Parts: sequence; C-alpha cells; structure tokens
Amino acid sequence: MDIFSDLVMGLTVAVSPINIVYLLIGAMVGMIVGVIPGFGPSAGLAILLPVTFGMDPIGAIMMLAAIYYGAMYGGTITSILLNTPGESATVASTFDGFPLAKNGRAGPALVMQAAASFVGGTVGVILITVLAPLFAQVSRSFGPPEYFLLALMGMLTLIVMIGAHWKLGVISALIGFALGTVGVDLETGQGRYTFGSAELIGGIYFIPIAIGLFGLGELFYAFYSGLHRTGTGTIVQYDKEERFWPTAQDWISTRMTMVRGSILGFVVGVIPGAGATIASLMAYSTERSLSKNRDNFGKGEMAGLVAPETANNAASSGAMIPLLTLGIPGSASTAVLLAAFLLWGLRPGPLFMEQNPELAWGLIASMYLGNMALLAISIFAIPLFVQIIKVPYRVLGPCIVVICALGTFSVHASFVETYLMFAAGIVGFFMRLYGFSPAALVLALVLGPLAEEALRQTLTISRGSFMIFVERTPSLWIIGITIALLLLLPMLGRVGNTSAGVAEKAGS
Amino acid sequence: MEFTTTFKAGVLAAAVALPLGIANDAAAQAAYPSADETLDWTIAFGPGGGNDIMARSIISILEKYDLYPGEIQPENRAGGSGAVGWGYLYGQNGNPYGISTTSGSFVTTPLQADTPWQPEDFTPVALLATDDLVLVVNSESEIQNIEEFIAHAKENPINIGGTGTVNVDFIVPTLFAQKAGFEFDYVSFNSMSEQTTALLSKALDAMVGNPGEILGLIDSGDLRPLVFSGQNVPAALEGVPTMGELGYDIGVSMPRGLILPPDAPAEAQAWWIETMKKVVETPEWDEYIASNTLTPTVIYGEDFRTFLVNTKNGFGEVLRSIGAIK
Repeated sequence: MDIFSDLVMGLTVAVSPINIVYLLIGAMVGMIVGVIPGFGPSAGLAILLPVTFGMDPIGAIMMLAAIYYGAMYGGTITSILLNTPGESATVASTFDGFPLAKNGRAGPALVMQAAASFVGGTVGVILITVLAPLFAQVSRSFGPPEYFLLALMGMLTLIVMIGAHWKLGVISALIGFALGTVGVDLETGQGRYTFGSAELIGGIYFIPIAIGLFGLGELFYAFYSGLHRTGTGTIVQYDKEERFWPTAQDWISTRMTMVRGSILGFVVGVIPGAGATIASLMAYSTERSLSKNRDNFGKGEMAGLVAPETANNAASSGAMIPLLTLGIPGSASTAVLLAAFLLWGLRPGPLFMEQNPELAWGLIASMYLGNMALLAISIFAIPLFVQIIKVPYRVLGPCIVVICALGTFSVHASFVETYLMFAAGIVGFFMRLYGFSPAALVLALVLGPLAEEALRQTLTISRGSFMIFVERTPSLWIIGITIALLLLLPMLGRVGNTSAGVAEKAGS
Repeated sequence: MEFTTTFKAGVLAAAVALPLGIANDAAAQAAYPSADETLDWTIAFGPGGGNDIMARSIISILEKYDLYPGEIQPENRAGGSGAVGWGYLYGQNGNPYGISTTSGSFVTTPLQADTPWQPEDFTPVALLATDDLVLVVNSESEIQNIEEFIAHAKENPINIGGTGTVNVDFIVPTLFAQKAGFEFDYVSFNSMSEQTTALLSKALDAMVGNPGEILGLIDSGDLRPLVFSGQNVPAALEGVPTMGELGYDIGVSMPRGLILPPDAPAEAQAWWIETMKKVVETPEWDEYIASNTLTPTVIYGEDFRTFLVNTKNGFGEVLRSIGAIK
C-alpha cells in the first residue's frame, strides 16, 4: 500500500497545469531530437539543460525526463522510413522496420512501434514503482566480470545477425572489432591508431558508422538500382488509406513479443552501462530465435520491429533505477540528468528517494503521464511523417544526405566523425551490394571495446586468474543463463521450423 | 622577456590605479572592457559537465553583480577532450574579448595528442579551485581507516579503481603509494558509474573519485572515505585526514581556472585578475565551491602559469614512467 500512497503523492505533485505543460514540451522536443539522426536523447538533454536553470526542480526534471524517453518514440520513425536510425537504441529497429515499409506497411509499422514503445515504457515504469529496491540490488552486484559476461552474451546476437553468408558476416564482424580497437587504451593510456588526432582519443563512436552504413549505404544502393529515375515512385510503398492501421494479426502475433521485450529491456536497462542499445539488440535476436517465422526476420517481420522497440523503451525506464536508488547514471542520458540533480543542489545516492520523495515520486508519476502523451502525439504525428515517403526519391535522396551529415556533426561537432560517416556510407553501399552484414559490424563495434575493457579490468583485479568468473555469484548466474539460452533457443527454434515445414537453413 | 616586462608594468599600473578610487572606474571601463564588445566565452566541453557548470556559475555572478559591462556569450565548443574549444581560443591570439575556463583536460589533452597549443601558451588569469580526490572503500570492508589501509596494502595485493589512465585518478594514488610505501594494481574505468558499481559489487578493493559524485553513497554508509588528496577537507567529509596531514603530500591536483587567448593585452589580464578577486568574495562563489566539493585554491596571473607548467611536468613524469606517453 505504501507504494500506492507514494505514487498518489507523486501524482499530486506532477499534475499541476504548468508541470503538464513542461511535460508536453519535453515529450515533443524528445520526439524531435529522436527523429533527427545521430541527435540522441543525451545531446537533446544537454542542450536544453541550461534552459532549466531558473525552473522549479520538479517541473524541470519532468521536462528533462520526457525528452529522454520521448526520444525513444521518435528515434524509430527514420529507422522505419529511411533506414537511418534516429539514435543508437533504434539501430535494431531498422532490421525489420525498413523492410516492412518497403513492403508497403509503413503505416502499420509506425503505429506498432508507437504501441510497442508505449507498452515498453509503461511496463518499465510499473516495474520501477513496484520493484525499485529489488533492482537496486541487481545494479549494485555488477562488477567487471559480470560486464564481460554480459558483453559475451550480447555477442551471441552476432551469430543471429551474421546470417546466411557466414563468411561475409564474420568478415563484417571482424571489421567492427578492428574499428573498436581505435582510441586510447584504457589500461595503459597509450593511443591506438589515433595518429595524434585529439578527435580519435575517445575511439570511433558507433553513431557515425551506423548512420553511414545504414542510412547512406541504403541511399547509395537505391540510386545504384535507379530508383531516382522512377519519377514519383519511392523506395517505400504507401498510398492506400486503409493500410494505416495494423491488422488484428499484427497485434495477436506480437503480444508475447511485447511482454518479453519489456522485461528483457528493463532488466538490461537496470545494469549501468549496458543500456537501451544492447537491450534492443538482445531483444531482437531473442525474438528471432524464438519465432516460428524465423526466416522472415530481416524481410519485414512485425515481431522483429516490436521486440527492439519495447525493449529500448523499457530499458530507458530501467536506467532510472540506478540513478534514483544509487545516484549512479546507467547511460549517457541519465548522466546528464544526474548533472541536473547536482546543479539543483540535490545529492543523488541511496538516500535520495527518502530525502526527496516529492521529486522522486513526482518524476515516476510523470512517466506514466508522459508515455500516454507520447502515444497520442505519435498517433497524430504518423500521418504527417508518412508524407515524407510520398516525396520523389530524387528529391528525398539529397535531403537524406544532408540530414545524415548534419545529424552526425551535431553529436560532437566533429568533422572527423562526419568524414567517417561518409566513408562508412561508401563502405555500406559495397557491403549491401556484396551481401556483407552492416548490422554485425555495428554490433561488434559496440560490444568489442566493452568486452575488452571488462576482461582486462577483471584480470587485473583477479591478478590473471579466470577463476573469478565462477567465484562470484552474479557472474555464475549469467553463465548459467547463457548456457540455458544456448541450449534452449536452438531447440525452440527447431520446433518452430519443423512445424512451419521449413528447411533448417538459418539466415536472412 | 619583453612580454614579461610589459606585463609586470600592466599589473603594477592596475595595482596602483585600482586602489586610487572608484572614481577611476568609469575611465578604466572606457578602455577595457568596452560595453559594446561581446565577450566570447568558450566552454570546451558540453553542457552539464564540470567545466560548463563552472563557466556558467562565474557568468551568473558577473551578471548579478554587474561586474562585466557588456554582453557575455557562452558557447559550448566540445570535442577532442577540450582540444577543439581551447584550440578555438588559441586561434584568437591577442584578442581581449575571448575567454575560457580550464579543467583537468587542459593539462592532460596536450600530453596525449598533438594539440597545436600547450597550457602555458595562454594568458593566465587565475587558478580558482582544484578538483581533489577521496579514496574510499566499500563499507563492508574490514579496513576502517587509512592507517589500516596502508598496513593492509603493504602485506597483501590490493587494487584501486579510477577513471582513465592519463588522469589525476591514476596519478594521485600512484604518487601517494610511492610516498606511503605500498604497491597496488590500478584498474582503469571509463566512467565514475562503472567504477562505483564495481566497488559496490566488491570486485574492487578501493577507488578514488571526486567527492561530489559519491557523497550520496558516503552519507548512506555504503562507502567509507579514508583519505583526501586536497589541502583542506570539504565540510561534507569532516574527520577524513588529508594526504598532507599524514605526511604524504603529493602536491598534484586538477586546475580549475580562467584563461585568455595567448598574448592578450596586459590591461585585459589585469582587469580580469581584479574582477576575479571580487568574484571569489561573493556568497554565490562559496556556494559553487561547496556544492561541487572543490578545494578553493586561488592563484593569480603568472603564478598560475607556473602552476600549470609544474602540473604538466609532474603529470608527464608519472605518465612517462609507466609508458603511457612518450
């Protein structure tokens, strides 16, 4: 009952006209920063942070939080329509979102992603409300050994993504791992392949690579195949009004996907540093392994869009747990929120919720309202966004190039990253042409450095002994879950395959 | 040499002129700063970071007390660990209307990358505060205080976590261990949050961190502070000894200061020194220092340049000894 009285108290704090206005402003800004490629929630938050200086902390935190989870709604729109992820957590949404749009199902895909975002976000908030103290325990039990194992688990996703042309897939992943070695070696402080450039000290950020590989690569391919000459014809098919709403089949076939995506996303989001990107990739590969229509993944399977979408929204709620219960930001975005707390003279930590119940519960209550507002905004905005794809490709194409370049530049105002994005675009075109896997490259680039750093930290701590992985209870758990997944998933997959009467040849 | 002489003359002139009376203020302002010129304030990092908070705190004090006559335009020019923003200021050679705040990367970035500038190239205004570190253990650890920690570390292998390697997080415990006579394995993390979870999960034995970011966990009793690297312990850490009090003074900290472009006019430098003397006297400044748990350490003008050179050399020596830089 305590929880409910806290939540009611939070609602009374949150529901004031001015706070609702702040919430709506935040939600809209969040959607917009989400839509612009590369320009993710952390950049949006950081830019708007100075605006909140003179504001009342509760209104300000509601607005900032709305920007944060609003970006998760907006980020998918360009993934679906242009194959260009709006931000890192929606990379996985391009895998099936874009093929769906190409098949003429852009409307249903956009509606389903909004619904999936709503379910993920709301389940996430419910889990925060009920289980915050429990999950605080989870996030404080993770040390380097657990992060390494988690990254390994994420790499299982690679097996799924590599697809039919396994040799080309493996090469793609290896390129990703190689790019991941650039930057200052965390352990020794020595620069690796930085060529003295200050811009490469921090390594190759995967956002320019992802925008280039997916967005520009697809664009170049479209031009290569002559789409710009087809007059009004567009790469994405959409014209009929009745095609706007998803079918009953879409809802029924993805209901369990939503449940799994929400829970998986939340749990991964709770772990500091793992975050929404890894959650969405893991949800995608889990869903693909479990699905009966495994072979349709990557060709426009609704579950392949719904899984990462529920997961990234649930993860962004989950990431609030370490922030509120330990004062530890789990992601770049929550780090900006932490800075905001410090600016207002608050002291985040285990006593934060106790000492500032109005702020903490006001924030949680506002997240329920924010998700509802975002669902409504999305549904209204979708017909507008769909207009984009009616623009002839010869007009839209150059616009995409500009959007990709500006989006990449806006992240760190870095010319080097913008050049990298263009280079990745050219590479992406050839990868597309010859059947390599850009997704495997990006995933390897994300997970490679994570795994390397965690393993080296682990071995420094254990003084070179691998026994540390079995001596610690949390890492034993992860090993157990990984083995269970490895054993279970192929079995489940086989059942699905035989019932569908499909040959066991996996791949897209 | 010529520059130093004119500079000294400038300081002297300012030092003489200012006490002569407020009446001269109007005349002085006609020269520098002019109310018609916009002050281009470079913040070499993104919004929300330590450098940004410092710049905006100073700007709001300048505005509140009408200390600067013209318009101040703060601009975040992030990138390359400060290389972009300070490179931009470096390009404004001699401009009295360019200014920037410094933080640790002002010293470490040029050590790591081929920046065209070095910290001592800029016109120094003042060192205002330093970022210092606190060494903490998990409160479930058997180690109760720093004496026990050192005794334990002399007998057993021990690890200490910190953020990054080319960083004060690595240099402070390294110098401290050398003086106190123990050895440890340094575990480098990408962010404060990863290292804090690692300590809470008992993977790490100890870690160093900026007190502001972990006070919440210290208050709640999850972490136990052992020793502080600065000269004066912040109020929130009362009772914790400093490294100096133990006789292991390491004399290294991250400079938070104010700089002008290289070869800025001496009158601009003198004006800013005088103005910052007023800024650090305000209650708002005290509040900034307290809420960010910084150590107030104020040094003006050329002494700040000397401090920067010493800090750079000290860092360079430690980092070269482990092969992190050449």
